[in-house]
Order: sequence, then structure tokens, then C-alpha cells
Amino acid sequence: MIAAQLLLNAVALGMAYALIALGFVLALNAAGAVNFAHGDLVVLGGGVAVALAFHLAAPAWLLVPLVLLVLGAVGVLAARVAILPLVDRPPETTFVATIALAAIVEHALTLAMAGAPATVPAVAGAGAVQVLGVAVGRQQLAILVLGGAAILLVWLLLERSWIGMRMRAVAMDRTMARAVGIPAGRYIAATFALSGALAGLAGLLLGHQFLVSPTQGAGYMLKAYIAVALGGWGSVPGALLAALGIGAFESLASAWVGDAWAQGALYVGVIATLALRPQGLFGEPAGRRV
Amino acid sequence: MSGLSRFWRFTLVATMMAALVVAERYPHAATLIAAYTLMGLGYQLIFGHLGALALSQGAMFGVGAYATALLASTLGVGVIPVGALIAALVAAVVAVPVLRLQSHYFALATIALAAIVHLVAVNAERWTGGANGLVGFGTNLPSELSLALVAWTVAALFVAALARAMAGRWAETARLLREAPLAAEALGIDGARWRFTAFVCGSALGGLGGGIAAAAAGVVSPEATGFPLMVLCLVSVVVGGARHPMGAVLGAVLAVLLPELLRDFGGAWLLAYAIATLIVVRLAPEGLAAAIDRWRGAAQPMPPLDPLPRRPVTAKRRLAVRDAVKRFGGVEAVAGVSFEVARGEVVGLIGPNGSGKTTILNLISGLVPADEGAILLDDQALDGLGAVPRARAGLARSFQTPALPAATLAGDAVGLVAWGDAPEALAMFGLDKVAAEPCGRLAPGERRRVDLARAVATGAPFLLLDEPAAGLGDAEREVLVAALRALAAEDRAVLVIDHDIALLSRACDRLICLDRGRVIASGTPDAVRADRRVQAAYLGRAA
Repeated sequence: MIAAQLLLNAVALGMAYALIALGFVLALNAAGAVNFAHGDLVVLGGGVAVALAFHLAAPAWLLVPLVLLVLGAVGVLAARVAILPLVDRPPETTFVATIALAAIVEHALTLAMAGAPATVPAVAGAGAVQVLGVAVGRQQLAILVLGGAAILLVWLLLERSWIGMRMRAVAMDRTMARAVGIPAGRYIAATFALSGALAGLAGLLLGHQFLVSPTQGAGYMLKAYIAVALGGWGSVPGALLAALGIGAFESLASAWVGDAWAQGALYVGVIATLALRPQGLFGEPAGRRV
Repeated sequence: MSGLSRFWRFTLVATMMAALVVAERYPHAATLIAAYTLMGLGYQLIFGHLGALALSQGAMFGVGAYATALLASTLGVGVIPVGALIAALVAAVVAVPVLRLQSHYFALATIALAAIVHLVAVNAERWTGGANGLVGFGTNLPSELSLALVAWTVAALFVAALARAMAGRWAETARLLREAPLAAEALGIDGARWRFTAFVCGSALGGLGGGIAAAAAGVVSPEATGFPLMVLCLVSVVVGGARHPMGAVLGAVLAVLLPELLRDFGGAWLLAYAIATLIVVRLAPEGLAAAIDRWRGAAQPMPPLDPLPRRPVTAKRRLAVRDAVKRFGGVEAVAGVSFEVARGEVVGLIGPNGSGKTTILNLISGLVPADEGAILLDDQALDGLGAVPRARAGLARSFQTPALPAATLAGDAVGLVAWGDAPEALAMFGLDKVAAEPCGRLAPGERRRVDLARAVATGAPFLLLDEPAAGLGDAEREVLVAALRALAAEDRAVLVIDHDIALLSRACDRLICLDRGRVIASGTPDAVRADRRVQAAYLGRAA
């Protein structure tokens, strides 16, 4: 029984990480640069959910569309402030700009929350339901259902809609996309809206179990970053799978040897992977990635 | 070698004096500015000059701080440089596997390193005291005013030393490595060694800063290794000026003063600093110090680079490509090509677009490894060697898109790698008049000629030129033909790709025609031009 619950927790955490990594990799492909503020958008999603629940006394399920909307708008803002004006500058400019953006979000949240961590209400109520004799946490179930639905919708959007196809075209070759008349900037902004919304959803879902604290951003960003590096730079399915794996590993290894060793093993593993297989576990060569 | 201008020397001394005066009332703040300056200087080396997206500088600061706290009772004052050494050691060990990674992979590896250092600080309680950190080691170290004096003397010395070192040749080398790493490699500049040295020295400076900060505070906690400190380091270096000799000082002053000035606003100073960073990146990417220089109108003209010592020229006579094969995915870009180029001759490599010309140049210069076959200088096989050792063995090349940093003066771009004769190379391509112009302001044809002169100036006896005539005007083409003939007369071997077959026919002793990765004809220009397969390849008729 306990093993089944542990496994469910592991998969749920992996699903939340997959949402973070999905937003991260979409933004990465669109901008051609890492968005170091992505983790802070996740935390912001949690923070916005806390604020909405408190001020509007909104029912928990209503938080989902609201957070998606707000963080989608924040994503566009992030693109307008720290990505789009710098697309033609050397890569270290975006590096600095998104790190500064991350710091802005973090410190603004610190001021707004007065330093006290807060809890997001559970999306589908607290407690557990019995499934085949196993007590399944309602929040874990909600994470799996909402996360799965979000990933499916993003897949449909990218693969089956002309908006998604244009987003992919811009991500693949910005210059060429422009040359055939696609307003690249607008589609990069749209991708960041999607990326921000996914981050917000993840923050909302994680914020119940792990609280919302302004300093979590770097940690979330790092998980997504690792997922993208292990899954093959820029590969969306690779990032999703790697994020699921990282979440599951973290949950199970934490339960087994404690959190510190689990984290340590993950970071050592990343350095070892980059050193031995610089192309990622199943990805393209990293050696000449610029 | 100029180092700091008089204005900045004065500012540095004034800042130091001011810090030492206030050190009587605020010894911790005064010393902390010096500590942050050292951390920032190190980061300037790694990120500013070499352009490596490292995120481990905060962790190195922490390593220095913990090393100082742990060893203070045994070593006394001598512990502070030891802290720096330990940081350097950690950097060196990690650098070996990680430094060859490019941009964002390198960033990730350095974050992972920093995360490991932080985990150790928090969890290895027996050594680090865990979340509480270490206290009570300060009694073995100088305190207050004397510490501030030591810290500022060290910081000022390093500011001056780095200003001196990162002017002239080193600054230009770093710029080329940052802006055109492949060209640097192909011209024989060992980027890996530069990055390694910068990473290790920069990390040592971070450790030095951490040790001084630990001594000033008298306590070390895991905060000293945290990501927020790294962000503070990055932000202050960028706001101060990532490449300006005084950038680290300005950034450190702001990082210590801002929280004092904005004390009534709680944590708002960090928010303010982050917003300021974003504004600086958008509006004045070179940072405050450089902006002040610009505002003062003090862009001092740099003297041209000192000439390099001549490098002895190899005695090898012949460059040979034997059965070279290169596949990209399922496409055989080069499908078994063999030819030779001897000293004293100019050989033209022609063929339609996509026939594998540039790939062959990349295989020869070692930028891309061959899948099969061999590249030889006489009987010495170059296979397995990277671009740098091949360049040192006597190869040099120019690029289809001239890889010249915009701010570098034309003369310096050439002088930077001139183990041969820079003035002669500039004269050969008619560039004497533009030598003092920054490359970014040159016309496309001039830039192309600077790129060519740079390859020639290396003194390399084997030259690989990729479309040297593209974008040249008629007069410039004449200069090029004359230069190619002069190079052959100088006993150099030239392999040149171009689409202007008339020009190549006049300049070359032989032509080799490629089609779909294979040699379809070779011989005298007239014979190759008359060849039916060559005409078919170009005109698309079936042979």
C-alpha cells in the first residue's frame, strides 16, 4: 500500500516537473536562450494563486483558469522586457537579463508575501479517495489529471493548429520564418504566454504540498534545466520524459536516503552526464551548441 | 599596456581612502566592498572577458569563506590565500570535464557545481556546522581596521594588475575568443587553455574575496555559498561594467551601499538592483564605468599591439588529403576525396554549391573531424589533432564570413596572430590606410581583406582561403590575384575556394573541381574548364 502511494507521489511530482520543463523548453526553443526566470514564474504562479484565494475567496477550481491567464500575461511581459529587445545581441545579454528578471520576481514576491511562506488551497479538495483499496491523494490525482490534460492540449496546439505550427516555425528558424511573413516577435511572445501559463499551473499545483516561498525559483528552474540537458537540448518529448524521471527519482530517493543525498546524486549525475555524454542521454551533440 | 586611466586611478585611490576612513565606524561594510571587488574581478575574467556563462562564482566565494573559517586556527592570517588556492583547486578539478561544454551546458554544469557546494555547506554538519555555520574563528585573524587595510590593499593591487593584464594583446585575444571562437582556434589560439586559466584564476579571486569576507564577519553560514550571492555577483559586475577595469569596484560599492541607503524599504534594495541591471543591459550594456568613460569622452586610443616574436616556419613541403570522407547524417558531404597541395603553388577548389568545398577546408583545418581518410603534412598525419595544434603545425585559414570582432582595430586583428610579418601582410592586401580603423566600421570588402591578411600574417606556410573574392570589387580582385601569386612566390601553399573561375584561372596553378563530394576533374585551369563533366556539374546537364 505504502509503496503504491509512494509511487503515486513520485509520478505526481514528476508530472509537475514535466509541466515546468515543458514551459521551459518551449521558451528555450522560441528565444534560443535559457529563461533563468522560468522557476520564478512557477513560484509566482503559486503566489498569485495564494493571493487570489485570499482576496477573492474564489473556489479552488476557479484558481486554475485565473492563474493560467495571469501567468500567461506575465509570460508575454517577460518576453517583451527581457527577451525580444535582446534577440540580436550576444547570448550573454539574455543570460543577464533573464537572471535579473528572476531576481525581480523573487524580490517582489518576498516583499509582497512579507517573507512568510503560504499554502495554495488544494485544487480538488484535501484528503484522499479510495481507488482499488489504495488511498489516493486528491491533490496528487489532480496533478496527474490537470498535468496530463495540459500536456495533451499543448501537443494538440503545437502539432495540430496553425498557431502552433507557426510557433514551431519561429523556434526552428526565426530568420526564415520572418522571411515567409510570420511576425516572429509576436509568436515568440505567444510562446512565452504559453510557457508562463504552464509555469503558473505547475506553481499552483506544487504550492499546496510544498508551500509557496519566494526562494524556490532557482530550484525549480534548475530541475527544468537538467531535464532539458538530459533529454536532449530542445527536444520536447525528451524534456518531458527526463522531468518525469527526475521527479520520480527525487521522490523515491528522498524517501530512501533523504533529501540531501537525493539532490546531491542528481547534481553529480548531471555533471557526470555532461562530462561523459555531452550530447545528453538521447539528444543532439552539445559540443558545438552555441 | 596602459591599464587604468588617470581618472580611474584617482577614483580607485579615493574609494579606498573613503573606505578606510569609514572603516573606523563600519569596519565590516568597508572590508566587504573589497571582498566583493575581488569576487567581481574574478567574475569579470570568466564572464566578462572570456564570455563563459559561469554561475559558480558565488560558490567559490563560499569555498574560500569556509576554508578560511575551518583553517584559521591552524594557519592564522596565512589562511586567506590558502582559501583562494582551495577555490582554485575545486575549479581546476571541475573545469577539466566541464569547460569544453558550450554556453548553456557550461552554465548548467556550473550551477550544478554550486548546488553541490551549497548542499555540502548545509548538510555536512560535522565540518560546516550545518545551517548555523561556523563562528569563533575570527580571533585568529586580523580584525577591523587592519583587516580593512589588508583587504583594500589586496583588492586595489588586483584591480591595477588586471587592468594592466587585460589591456592590449590579452584583451584582444579574449575578445576574439568571445566573439569568434572558431576563428581563434583555426588561427592557433588555444581557447581551452585560456578559458581554463581564466576560470581557475577567477575562481581563486572569488575564494580570496570569500576568505576576506569571512574574516570580516567572523561567521560563515551556508548563505555564503547560495545562489542569491551568485546573482548579486553577476548583477554588480554587469551594472559596474563586465569588462571595464573599474567595473568590479563600482559594482561592489553599490552592492554594499544600496542596502544601507534603502534600509527603510526592507528587501527593496535587491529589487532595485535587479531592475537597475535590466535597465543597464538594455540601455548601457557595457556598464556604468564604461558609460562614465563615454560621458567624459575619454575613449582613449589604444597603441597598436606589440609585434609577436617570429615563429620558425615548418620544413614540411606538402599538404595531402587522402580518401577523406565526411558524412552529415545520411549525406556524404565529402565522399572519398584525395589531392595534394605543394609549397609554392596556388590550387583552386571549385564546384557547385553543396559540393563539399568548405567541408574539406574544415576537415583540413581540424574544425570538423573526418569520418575516414587522412590529412597529412608530408608524412605527418594530422588526424586526431584539433584545430589549434594543426594551426601551430603550419596551417591558417580565412572564413566565408570574416570573423572579426567589431571593436578590434584592423591592424590589431592582424597583429594579434602575426607570428609572421603583420605590416607586410597588411600591405599585401592594400590595408595600410585602414589599419587604425575598428573592423566594425570597415566596408565588407575591406573586412574580407583583413581576414585574409590575418591568415597570411600568421606566417603559416599552408593557407586555406574560403571564398576570398566574395564581395570584392574589381580593383580589390586584382589585389587578391597579385597577393595569391606573391604568396606562391614566397614558397607558401595556397588552397583557395571561390566561385569566380575566371579569377581562379588567372591566380591558380591548378584547379580541382568537386561535385557531390567527389573530385570530378583536376589539372591546369584550362583543362579543368574545358572538362565536360565540370561544365555539366555547373550547368546542370547530364554528363
